[in-house]
Amino acid sequence: MPVEFKDYYVTLGVSRTASDDEIKKAFRKLARKYHPDVAKDKKLGEEKFKEINEAHEVLSDPIKRKQYDELGPDWKERSAHQRPYGQQPGRNGSSRRQQGDDFHFEGTGFSDFFEQMFGGRGRSGFSPQGGETDSELFGQSHGSTPGRDIEGDILVTLDETVNGAVRELSLQSNDPRNGQAKTHHIKVRIPAGIHEGQRIRVPGKGGEGSDQALPGDLYLRVRLAAHPDFRVRGADLFYDLDLAPWEGVLGTTVKVPTLKGHVNLRIPPGTNNGLQLRIPKHGLPKGKTQDPGDLFVVVDVQLPKKTNEEERILWEKLSSISTFKPRSES
Amino acid sequence: MSNIVVADKNSLTLVCVTETGPTTYTLETAADLAGIHPEMLRYYCRFGFFGDIGATPETELVFNDDAIYQLRRFEHYRRNNRVSRKTLRLIFSLWRDIDLLQTELRYLRDS
Repeated sequence: MPVEFKDYYVTLGVSRTASDDEIKKAFRKLARKYHPDVAKDKKLGEEKFKEINEAHEVLSDPIKRKQYDELGPDWKERSAHQRPYGQQPGRNGSSRRQQGDDFHFEGTGFSDFFEQMFGGRGRSGFSPQGGETDSELFGQSHGSTPGRDIEGDILVTLDETVNGAVRELSLQSNDPRNGQAKTHHIKVRIPAGIHEGQRIRVPGKGGEGSDQALPGDLYLRVRLAAHPDFRVRGADLFYDLDLAPWEGVLGTTVKVPTLKGHVNLRIPPGTNNGLQLRIPKHGLPKGKTQDPGDLFVVVDVQLPKKTNEEERILWEKLSSISTFKPRSES
Repeated sequence: MSNIVVADKNSLTLVCVTETGPTTYTLETAADLAGIHPEMLRYYCRFGFFGDIGATPETELVFNDDAIYQLRRFEHYRRNNRVSRKTLRLIFSLWRDIDLLQTELRYLRDS
């Protein structure tokens, strides 16, 4: 099937000269609208959310954006010369040809275009059991050569990392004997507590082994979908909270979103810009124990860009009576 | 317990839905999946080849899917490409650093 070009600028509704900030804002706005948890049409929302995430993934990364911007009508030829690391022809091409392994995934959350340009789809990996094995050295024998492991990326939402999920993928590969395409439909369990960059092993779904040997495994590398509200670092979530200057000075109580719903957070008086307030156990589950990480609310005091006459008088009055000195006197 | 039980003939995959957390493997299973002797895996862990792959102080060594991936890759390069263990340790350590830095970069870009 021909790979269709994706116009990521159109997807996010921004111009080709949009700044990083404009791209971020456009993404957040659309992601809030189409997030699977809030979209009225869940199916459509899910599809749109994936498209938006993919566009954001490319346009928010300066290297990927530059690579994308350089594409023209001959993008297919160009992309053939710009294959991601690990897919360079000749690097592992011989082993791929030898096995006839040319893999194609569907259902990972990334489009064919993205996979071709930036992804690691169908990286024909490695077969650990070749030559003399340590098992043989230690007196065990594993017999014939098993199939190669293959790798791909899978887009996972934060909700899926919290609750776990089952995803259906289709994996197409070419039979080395007759060159015919075979499609395997597989269900993959996304375990709760999985993190960015971790891999999910799907046993027996890699390349076929020789002489009836065991097939290799399929490894899916987790790519967390960007969330409109939260940033992720390990199992911790970060939420940027905009405050008015007087809210920072006087303190206030604000409603803060979490993955489990909203909580009321008390902002103490004298809260400074950049302060991080921790809400324990509102992050992502961690590993086998599933202990949740924390949610950090990062204070971002916003200054009004425009002031009316009345406000200006009040600011001036404050300026004249305040004892606050932001700069130390030397 | 493996996360997926494959009934391969018709590409049918049975999914174990009762387990919610990530799959873990014992040292023996991990060694078997990597095609090495358990003593060799113990050796790797003892000498810091795979120091951070899920071992907990109170239990015996435990491995996750990621560790199995790394281990199989390690063995692939060692056997098929004849890369020495010392060199592989350096390469894997650099790969780990790159992964961490890329994750951090993604976080900072969203800030």
